[in-house]
Amino acid sequence: MKKLAIILIAALACLSLSAQETPGGGVEAKVVSRIGRAPIAGATVELITAGSTVASQTVGHDGHFRFDAVPRGSYSVKASADGYREAIVNVVIEGYVRDIMLVTMTPAEDFAATVEDMELEDRDFLDSGYDDSPTMLFGTNDPYTKVAGFGFSAVRFKTRGYNSETQDVLLSGVRLNDAITGYSPYSLWTGLNEAMRSKETTIGMESSAYAPGGVNGVTNIFASPSEVRPGWRMSVLTNSASYRLRLMATYASGRLDNGWSYAFNVSARLGGNDWVQGVYYRSFAYYFGMEKKIGDEYTLSFVTFASPGERGAQNASTQEVYDLMGDNMYNSNWGYQNGKVRNARVRRTFEPVTILKYVWTPSDEFKLSNTLLWRTGKNGYTALDWYNAQDPRPDYYRNLPSYAYMEDEDYNRSNLDKSEWNAEAWSLHIPDYYNFQHINWERLYAVNRNSEGGRAKYVQEERHVDQNDVHFVQNFSWNPGGSWTVDGGWNFRINRSENYKKLADLLGGQYFLDVDSFAERDFAIDPRKQQNDLVYYIAHGEPRKVYVGDKYGYDYMACVNSVRAWGSASKTVGPLKFNLAASVGDESFWRVGLVRKGLFPKNSKGKSDVASFFVWSVKGAASWDLPAGQRVDANVGYFNDAPTFSQSFISPRTRNDLMGGLTTRKTFSADLNYHISRNGYNARATVFYTSIGDQTDLMSFYDDSQNSFTNFAMTGIDQRHMGIEIGAGIPLPVEGLSLAGALSWGEYIYTSTPHMVQTIDNSSEVIRTQEVLYWDKHPVFRKVDGQVDYDFDDNPIVERWEKHYVPSTPQLAAELALNYNIKYWFFELNAQYFAHSHLDMNPVYRTDYALRGSDRDPLIIEDMCSQEEFAPAFLLNLSIGKSWYIHGDQLGFSLNAYNLLNNTGVKTGGYEQTRLISSAEKDRYYRFDSKYFYMPGFNYMLNVYFRF
Amino acid sequence: MKRFLTLITSVLVLAACSEWDPVLTCRYEEPPVAEPVVMTPTHTIKQLCQLYKGRPLTISDDIIIAGKVSTTDEPGNFYKSFYIQDETAGIEIKVGKNSLYDDYHPGQTVYVSCKDLTIGMYGYKSGNYGGQGMVQVGFSDPSGAYETSYIESPLIIASHIYCGERGEKVQPVVVSASQLPGKDDDQRTNQFVGKLVTLEGLQYDREVFALFYPVSSLPHTSEDPWNRVFLSDDGTWGINTWAMSKAKFVEYLASGVWDDAEVGSGSTHYGPITGSPREYLTPVDAANFGSDADLSYKQIMAKYATAYSISHYFSMGSKQIQIRTSGFSKFGDREIPADVYSGARKINVTGILTVYQGSVQLVVNSLDDFTDTEGNSLYQ
Repeated sequence: MKKLAIILIAALACLSLSAQETPGGGVEAKVVSRIGRAPIAGATVELITAGSTVASQTVGHDGHFRFDAVPRGSYSVKASADGYREAIVNVVIEGYVRDIMLVTMTPAEDFAATVEDMELEDRDFLDSGYDDSPTMLFGTNDPYTKVAGFGFSAVRFKTRGYNSETQDVLLSGVRLNDAITGYSPYSLWTGLNEAMRSKETTIGMESSAYAPGGVNGVTNIFASPSEVRPGWRMSVLTNSASYRLRLMATYASGRLDNGWSYAFNVSARLGGNDWVQGVYYRSFAYYFGMEKKIGDEYTLSFVTFASPGERGAQNASTQEVYDLMGDNMYNSNWGYQNGKVRNARVRRTFEPVTILKYVWTPSDEFKLSNTLLWRTGKNGYTALDWYNAQDPRPDYYRNLPSYAYMEDEDYNRSNLDKSEWNAEAWSLHIPDYYNFQHINWERLYAVNRNSEGGRAKYVQEERHVDQNDVHFVQNFSWNPGGSWTVDGGWNFRINRSENYKKLADLLGGQYFLDVDSFAERDFAIDPRKQQNDLVYYIAHGEPRKVYVGDKYGYDYMACVNSVRAWGSASKTVGPLKFNLAASVGDESFWRVGLVRKGLFPKNSKGKSDVASFFVWSVKGAASWDLPAGQRVDANVGYFNDAPTFSQSFISPRTRNDLMGGLTTRKTFSADLNYHISRNGYNARATVFYTSIGDQTDLMSFYDDSQNSFTNFAMTGIDQRHMGIEIGAGIPLPVEGLSLAGALSWGEYIYTSTPHMVQTIDNSSEVIRTQEVLYWDKHPVFRKVDGQVDYDFDDNPIVERWEKHYVPSTPQLAAELALNYNIKYWFFELNAQYFAHSHLDMNPVYRTDYALRGSDRDPLIIEDMCSQEEFAPAFLLNLSIGKSWYIHGDQLGFSLNAYNLLNNTGVKTGGYEQTRLISSAEKDRYYRFDSKYFYMPGFNYMLNVYFRF
Repeated sequence: MKRFLTLITSVLVLAACSEWDPVLTCRYEEPPVAEPVVMTPTHTIKQLCQLYKGRPLTISDDIIIAGKVSTTDEPGNFYKSFYIQDETAGIEIKVGKNSLYDDYHPGQTVYVSCKDLTIGMYGYKSGNYGGQGMVQVGFSDPSGAYETSYIESPLIIASHIYCGERGEKVQPVVVSASQLPGKDDDQRTNQFVGKLVTLEGLQYDREVFALFYPVSSLPHTSEDPWNRVFLSDDGTWGINTWAMSKAKFVEYLASGVWDDAEVGSGSTHYGPITGSPREYLTPVDAANFGSDADLSYKQIMAKYATAYSISHYFSMGSKQIQIRTSGFSKFGDREIPADVYSGARKINVTGILTVYQGSVQLVVNSLDDFTDTEGNSLYQ
């Protein structure tokens, strides 16, 4: 990495010497089509500097143009022509006429659109599984992002190892990252690919005209009707890994002569898939927007959209279960009910977003936009809930062979016969055994029907986070001249999210009781403590009966207010461009309990303390345009961000307790980039370094050593991310043939020993407060003949320390793609390699108390603390596309075949369970098996579209 | 457009039908009600018990027994098992699952196909101070810890335990003192053992038995006396509840009524719980407690508190009966009425009659099983 930096700096130094000479010059080139290098007659070429067009020409039949007597400096050559996508080439003009040979334009309506379509289709799939938050964006001309954004998503690659919350996702200039969790909000507009196609994306810490930005880029989706591609477009899509069918229709008027534009986009995504049983879609989406341009100065727009619907979710299981089922895509969430597949975990959403935007452009130099955005609606996620009943999950650990027998006698599981019975229940895939391998709905109904008085024991609950999220954003853009550009604005957000659960299905029962079964166990003769709704109990003398549609369990408001002001100034000085951006603001959040819980009568209802944070950021950038389409730029930034609501309340479902020691997250980041874009070649190389400090995390789990449900709060989690990114697009000598590649190679690690506080959930009693000893690393001991080696003081000798990595993303990802485009045909074959991906760690295993016995046997530390690294994965994918023009209409298709090698062993994520197994002698603990998610094997997507 | 519609239609046809159920209907019809199973028993419960010859036996013949469910684990005093009884005897079926009352209702006929299951005895102790225990149905236990293990496996349960018709709850039989089992009796020799019975006129003997494990996640067998604390042989130790939940345990402990209780068991006694492992134990044994070794046992017991079962001793004529109640039962923290506790008032108690090391025990289903001598519940 050092070498790369030295090379970049040396190149900079050399080029800077050659760039400081004669006073004026020119530029010439030929405008050609990417297909066949044919000249594009009639193309318009503009020479632009500091945002202003200083000269323009229309090229002749040979496609040639030339600008003379141009003052020395940094310029962009912009070529536009009907039927082609705009092309922009950066050029530094010196004391002579520079021949940049070719400005290559891409036909707008063929493969490029096809490729983009495919990329956008793929985005749709990312909300199908366990994580709603794709962390990679695409749609830019950046050669790395072009490849990685689409290609790496299959393994849930995270850009530079960053979490989804680091990525600022804006819609119409409004940052919509979830107020409670910080996650990016794609699920709000999933299925509206066409309406949301138009966007502007920055990478890393690049400056944005819409927001101050953090370390992981800013994407602003315009979402305005005038930005939707004009005309009709209809498409039908089928794929085998997510949903069977998608139908979509779009119409946009474009800007009409009377200043109006309007657009709509509707879609339906329906059906299941070939890989994960129980996952299905019944999702719809609509978008409607209208916009009026009033004179040259004013634009008023109204947009509303939503993606209502439901979809069945997937679950992770242990490898033992996958092996027994012979299927790494086994999903434990469903079972047969009357012969029909029924999923217990269904996400149901309807969250309409409404935007009112007013833009004032009094001059070419100044623009002011005012946006009011309101998100509301319902977001529910069903699950089974039960009271005084057996765990209904088929892959509950006691149902597995390993619970009865383990080869290692120290697990104290010696019943081989019983283990074989369990194995038989899982490995024979015949109807008689389905109820052992999947949820036994029949039994749940039978239990409820037979329950005394009709009290349901099993129900389906629906956990809700219903947001009311109001934003007001005012942004301006000002070009005062003198090659200055100034952007800035302020935004105000009020979020009130009601968190509750409601009864979705009584499963044959007549009612459910609103009591806390954990509390009932611990406080058996104190009925007040068992009540989820104490006020009701006191008023009526009995627990509340709950029926379908009723809220129960918990009910509270998560309240967030934030205000932020920001500014960004850029100055161009010859080939140099500088940018400085900063923001300040305040973020506050608190909880308002809406019910009084029996366990916590004093602090479950009403308003909690307000956690308030002063947040700020500052970042700077410098870029240097070099000859021959080269550019070097560097960014540096420091960000002081508030923790999120979800990371701050110890047990928000029960009480108002905030974590102790809450503080802001501190992020420092720097990167250095080299770009080249010339004659169809396009490449970027980046080195980056980021440190993130003072993060917090919260989890709740059953602690076997306490026989209690506990909350586990961790503070002081630090991370360090550094690495390189390289992306390139290279035309090959054969007409229509090109190569594209991307490489991301980094090291994303934990660097601190966090502090943890563990409390009993039922009493809020603190039971442990200590350091998570081996969170960031663990020792590997020197061994001789398999035995740990000790020094003279009888201490085990540490051979090395093994680092612990930020999980669930490959730290090495590479793709090489071969593209061939001819006569409106498009072919791509790409090979991908992913490695160094790690499993999400459970801090409990790395604490002092879980390491009991390690003073006697240091190998226990290695056993309990090591972090699993996933096996590397090699994938091959193929895409084919074609479009036809028929009487001016366009019909096209794209067919993508993913994972041609049918590699079904690629882990994409998972987690360590939290429970502990006591050894036979009760002198140490073992881990529970981890749970994993896998990538589907061979799968396809076929999209046929018609545009007219 | 026609082409589009054709394509859509073909995709719909090609797709597997089951995946469209939730998409098209979004509804699921309720499953049909299961018919009760009817089987013909081959053996009575007593006959099955008689196959037990002093060591666990895995049944290899097609033996079927039938009986009515006489217990419920709903209040939590039975744990992971239930009893069935026929005319001849009652027996515990060690299912190994929670909340069995959801599937096996009191009064319901249950058939047990015993082939591949194991019968064994729990609670047998040889010698003058020992006696018989209870024959149970479970699964083999190669670990040797017990004669049978829980059945547990869903497939074994489904293929061996069948639900028959629901019926009226089992009516307890009133058993006199003379009919109570002796130390050498079990289901094979006394027709009331394992059955739901009512014992009348019980008088509290003001004596308890309890065994605590200061850190229950550490070894606590008789080989590990450093992790055992007994309350026995000396009055009630201030315990006036049927058992104790975790919270109640902490309350008793903090009150100081157990401060004289000694750490240790068998012939090994270290000293009262106010001392610490560091004080009492060898460095090796003390190391088991880690950083807690310097705390007093009393503090350690509070730190790792959990619910505990209690046996209260009652007398019925010349016979002594233990009423054993689980700390995890919902009524464990209920107090014994003061006049009963003082021995001034006699009570009737209904429960499953069991023997443990030759001693007679009674395990109740719920608080309703405690009545006065007129049959009125003690807990209205």
